[in-house]
Amino acid sequence: MSRSASTLDGLATGVATEPIIAWRAWALTGHRDGSSLLLRPVAKRARTWRPREIVEASCRTSRWHEAPDPGCTCGLHDTHGLEVLRKTRCPAVLGRVALWGRVIEHEHGYRARFAYPQRLRLLCQFCFWKSGVRRPAPEHVGWFPHDELIPLCEQHLAIAERHGVHPRWLLPADEVQQRLRDTYAVDALAV
Amino acid sequence: MDIGKPKRINEIEPVTLPVPGEVVPEKEPSRQPDREPEPAGPEQRQS
Repeated sequence: MSRSASTLDGLATGVATEPIIAWRAWALTGHRDGSSLLLRPVAKRARTWRPREIVEASCRTSRWHEAPDPGCTCGLHDTHGLEVLRKTRCPAVLGRVALWGRVIEHEHGYRARFAYPQRLRLLCQFCFWKSGVRRPAPEHVGWFPHDELIPLCEQHLAIAERHGVHPRWLLPADEVQQRLRDTYAVDALAV
Repeated sequence: MDIGKPKRINEIEPVTLPVPGEVVPEKEPSRQPDREPEPAGPEQRQS
């Protein structure tokens, strides 16, 4: 249910009771055994998305306004579609997220006050950059220094190793993916 | 990530929070009237 209201900072405003569902990509960290999985924004210094907790935006540049502010760039950034996300640096997980509170709608996405993932899947970042989500799910998850987890398909794992990039440990991607969904209590993403 | 220019501001207050185990807090929690503590004593039964 939604209704239109007045304008704020020259933008049309509306009120609704249903969260907006949008796209988002994350980096992933976890221990070598696949435990303690944690979604992290691809912008390294941003706050982590803790399992089963509402994620709340805050502004890093101003203490004087609540995020998201119409005149700032603060807020939890999410997109209408997948194309914008394909330019993301090192995505490991793709998902649908629910957004609520103040949500500023942009031409290609949103900036939100509150969010929580609804559906998740692992991504081979090289396949995603090259072909979007049409490629099959990755078979492996490489464990790297600083607990960084990077999902890779068979082909891109072989290419990485040929160029001297060797994961310190390999985990089966389907097990990590199921564990990630259980950790966040979300469903599979069917793309 | 470039999401373009802002177009619209939505204020969304969901009836059910899309987070496992979370409930929407009451806007104005009703205050219980202060009550005198009941004296502990012989009313406690042992089963």
